[in-house]
Amino acid sequence: MIRPGWAAALAAPYAAWMMVAFAAPLGAVLLMSVQESPEPFAPLSWTPDWINYQEIAGDAFLRRVIVNTVLLGLGVTAASAILAYPIALWLTRLPARWRPWGFALILVPLLTNVVVRSLGIILLLSPAGVVSGIVQALGFPRPNLLFGWFAVGLALVQVFLPYMVLALYDVLEAQEKRLTEAAQGLGAGPATTFLKVTLPLSLPGLRAGLVVVFLLSSTAYVSATLVGGRQVWVSAMVVFREGLDNLNFPLASAMATVMLVLSVLVTLLIGRAIALAMPWAHGRRRRAPLLPAAAARTLFAAAEAVRPVLSPLLFGLGTALLLFPLLLVVVASVNDTPQATVAAFHGFTWRWYGLILDNPRYLGDAWISLQLAVATVLAGLLISLPAAFVLVRGTFRAKEALGAAFLLPLALPGIAVGLGMLRLLQWFTAVPAFLGILAVHVVLVAPFMLVFLRASVAGLDRTLEEAAQGLGATRRQVLMHVILPQLAPGIAVACILGFLISFGEVTVTAFLTTARLQTLPVRIYAEATFSLENTVNAISTLTILLTIALLLLLNRFVPLDRAWKR
Amino acid sequence: MSTPTFTRRALVGAALATPAIWGTNAVAQIRRGDELTVGVWGGAQERILREFVSGPMESQYGVRINYVLGGTVERRARAYAERGRPSFDVIYLNIFESRQAVRDGVTQPPTPEVPNFANLYPSARIGGYGVAYNPITVVYDRRKVAAPMTSWRDFWREDLRGKVIWPSYPGAQGTAALLMSAKVWGGDENNIDPAFANIARLRPFAGIQSSQDQLFTMFDQEIGAASVEFGSFTRMYAESRNPNIEIANPVEGQAIALNVACITVGTTKQALAQEWVNRHLSPECQRAYAERIYYSPTIRNLELPPELAAKLIIGEQAVASLVDFDWDVVIRNQPRWASRFTREIAG
Repeated sequence: MIRPGWAAALAAPYAAWMMVAFAAPLGAVLLMSVQESPEPFAPLSWTPDWINYQEIAGDAFLRRVIVNTVLLGLGVTAASAILAYPIALWLTRLPARWRPWGFALILVPLLTNVVVRSLGIILLLSPAGVVSGIVQALGFPRPNLLFGWFAVGLALVQVFLPYMVLALYDVLEAQEKRLTEAAQGLGAGPATTFLKVTLPLSLPGLRAGLVVVFLLSSTAYVSATLVGGRQVWVSAMVVFREGLDNLNFPLASAMATVMLVLSVLVTLLIGRAIALAMPWAHGRRRRAPLLPAAAARTLFAAAEAVRPVLSPLLFGLGTALLLFPLLLVVVASVNDTPQATVAAFHGFTWRWYGLILDNPRYLGDAWISLQLAVATVLAGLLISLPAAFVLVRGTFRAKEALGAAFLLPLALPGIAVGLGMLRLLQWFTAVPAFLGILAVHVVLVAPFMLVFLRASVAGLDRTLEEAAQGLGATRRQVLMHVILPQLAPGIAVACILGFLISFGEVTVTAFLTTARLQTLPVRIYAEATFSLENTVNAISTLTILLTIALLLLLNRFVPLDRAWKR
Repeated sequence: MSTPTFTRRALVGAALATPAIWGTNAVAQIRRGDELTVGVWGGAQERILREFVSGPMESQYGVRINYVLGGTVERRARAYAERGRPSFDVIYLNIFESRQAVRDGVTQPPTPEVPNFANLYPSARIGGYGVAYNPITVVYDRRKVAAPMTSWRDFWREDLRGKVIWPSYPGAQGTAALLMSAKVWGGDENNIDPAFANIARLRPFAGIQSSQDQLFTMFDQEIGAASVEFGSFTRMYAESRNPNIEIANPVEGQAIALNVACITVGTTKQALAQEWVNRHLSPECQRAYAERIYYSPTIRNLELPPELAAKLIIGEQAVASLVDFDWDVVIRNQPRWASRFTREIAG
C-alpha cells in the first residue's frame, strides 16, 4: 500500500499537467456555459446565468438527444465487450512471433480514415449490400439498416472494438493459465470455465475497456454524421452545430458540460458495478449467489450447449468487422479514380503513392506527427504510470473520485476542448508551437494510458514483490526486476494506443495548427473538406505498414507477452 | 478570456482606414523576407494556389507564403477568436460567412486598390473578393427519373417520390435547397414556412446527405435518384465514375455559391495580402480553376474554349442568372432554421 504522502507525490505530475493544459480549456467551457448572450463578441459576464441550461432542460428535442446519446454509448460498449472477448483470448493464445501481426489486425480500424470506414459501413448495409443479402437469403424481408441507429452503432463498434480488445488483452495475458487447467480438471466445460474463472479475473481490464469505450462513443459525432443520415442526433453533433455553425458558444458549452457530468456519473457507476462484481479484491466476503443452484446449473448447461456455435460466430463477426476496412483501403489505394470513396474498381495505378512520395509536404507533416506522437507517448507514460499506482494501491478515501477526475478529458467532447482552446488562443500562441500542441495531445492521450495501466497495475502479482523483498531486494531492484517486467506488455499496449491516438488526432488539433506546425491528419482533413482523394487510402496503407514495422520492432525490445510464465 | 475593448464600429472604421495608411501603391510596401499566412482548403485548391499564386510571388518578391489548411468552420471560428489580432493575413470563406465577417469587423471589405478588383462581377465584390463561382444545382440519376429534371419543383414530381436525397442544413447545399424551395413555393428568405412545409411533404427521403462524398456513394449504391449539390464536383464525379448522373440547369436558375478571399482586419501585411488576392484573380489562376475543378471565373477578362465554357457559368448574363439571396436574413435565421430542420425534416 502507498502512504498518502507518497501517493500525493506520485499523482502530482499527472495532476499538474492536467491543471496546466486541461483545467484552462475546461474552465473556459464552464464559464462560457453560464453566459447569457449568444453573440460571439458579447462582453464576458462573471455573474453566472443559467439560461442555456434552462434551454436544454426545457427542450424536448435536446433532452431526447442526450438520452439517446447515453443509450447509444451503453449499447456500443456492451456490443464491443461481447465481441472483444473471443478476439482478446485468441490474441493471448497466438504464438509470440505472430503477435505483432495479430495486433496490427486489431488496429486496422484505428489506422483508416473515418470517411473511408463509413463507406465500408454503407457498402455493408446498403439495400444491395452484404448484410441485406444474407438477411434476404434467410427468407426475411429486405431490412432497412442504412442511415439509422444500427448503422451508427456498427460504425462505432468497429472503431472502438480495438480499445476493448487491448484493454482485455493485458489482463487475460497475465492470467494464471493453471487456473483454467484446474477448472477443467475439476470437470468444468469451456463455457463454465470462461464464466466462472476467466471472466471474473479479467474484470479490471473489462472495467478499463467499458470506461474508455463508453466515453469515446458518447462523445463521438463524425460517424453519426456520416452514416446516421441525420436520423441520428448525438450530443456532440449539437455541440458542433451550435458552436461552429451558429457560433453560439454558450449553448454549445452548456451542452458539453451536461455531457461531461453524465459521462462522469456513468464512469463512476461502471466502477461501482465492477467493484461489486469482484468482492475478493476488497477483502469482502462473497455475496450470496444471484440464482438458486438449480437455475445456475441449467444456465451453465445452456452456455455449454451454445458455446461451440456462439464463440466462433462472435469471433468471426468481430474479426470481419475489424478487417473489412483493410480490404477497402488497400484496394482503393491503387484504384484509378479521383475520389476516395469508390466501391467499384476502375483500374490499377500507383499514382496516389507517387503523389505522396513526390510531395515533400506530406512527408514533412508525417514527420511532425511522428515526433509529436513519440513525445506525447513518453510524456504520457511518465505521468500516468505513477498515477496508476496511486489509483490502485493508494489508501486514501477520495481515490475513486480522483480516478474519475483524472478521466475528465475523456468525458469532454473533443470539439468542446477545441472551443475552449479557441478562447485561450492568444495565450496558446505565445507558447512554442510544438510544446503547445504536445501539452494538449498529452491531455488527450494520458487518460487512456492511465485507464489501461491502472488495469495492468491491478493485475500485478503482489506475492512476487513480497518474495523479492523477503530475499533482500531493494525497492529499486523490485521495481526494475519484478514490477516492470510484469508490466511490460501493459505498458507496450498503452504506448501503442497512445501513439495511435496522438498520430491520428484531428478534432482538437485542427483548431491549433499554425503555419509553423501542421500534422498529417490535419492536412488530410483539410483535403477532405474539398474532396477526399485517393491519396488518403495510400496514406492509410502506408500507415498500416509503418505500424506493423513498429510493432515488430517493439516486440524485440518490449515483449508483448509474458514468456517466463510458460 | 479576452474581452474586446474596441467597439465593433471602431474596428470596422479601422478596417476602412487601413488602405489609406498604406498609400495607393500597395505593391511598393512588400519587403523581402515578409511572411504571409493564408488559411485555405487543401487538395486541388492548394495545388493550384501554389502553382499560380505563391510560387511566382515567392520568387518575385523573396517573400514566404505559409499555408494553414483546414475546413471553413474551424478557420472562421479561429478568425473570430482572434479578431483584431489575427494570425492569418488572408482567409477563405463561403459567401454568407464572408459577408457576416466583414460586418463583424473580422475581415475587410474589398478595395479597388487590388487591380483585378475592376474585373470582378458585381456579386463577387461583396464581403471580400470572390475567387470562384461554384453554383449549387439539381443533380440526378437519369435512369431513375421518368423525364429530365428542369426545375427545382421537379423534386415534388410523382416519379421521384421516396427517391430524393435531401442535403442537411446548415451547409452550403442545404441552404441552397431550403432557399430555392422557398422561392418555388411562393416564399423567400423572409417567409420560409412554404419551404419547410413542402420539404416535409417529400418525406420519406431515400437519404439525407451531408457531404458530396456521401452523396456520390449513395449514387454509386443507387440509394436515391436526385439531390442538390455543387455542379462542379458532381460533373467531375459524373465524368470520372458515373456517366448516368446529370447536372441540371433549372429554369429558376442555379443557386449562387462563392469562394471568397478575405483580408483580415489587423493584418500587418496589407500590401502583400492585396498582391496575393490580385494574383488569385489573375486570368491564369482562374483558367486553372476552370480547367481542373470546373470552378467558374469571377472575372470578366477570361476567354475559355467553348466546350469548357458550356460546363461553366460564363458571361454577364449567366452570372446574373445565379439566384442570390439576402444573406443577412439567412445568417440571422440560421440557428432557428437549423433547429426547425432537425425537428421537421430530418431528426
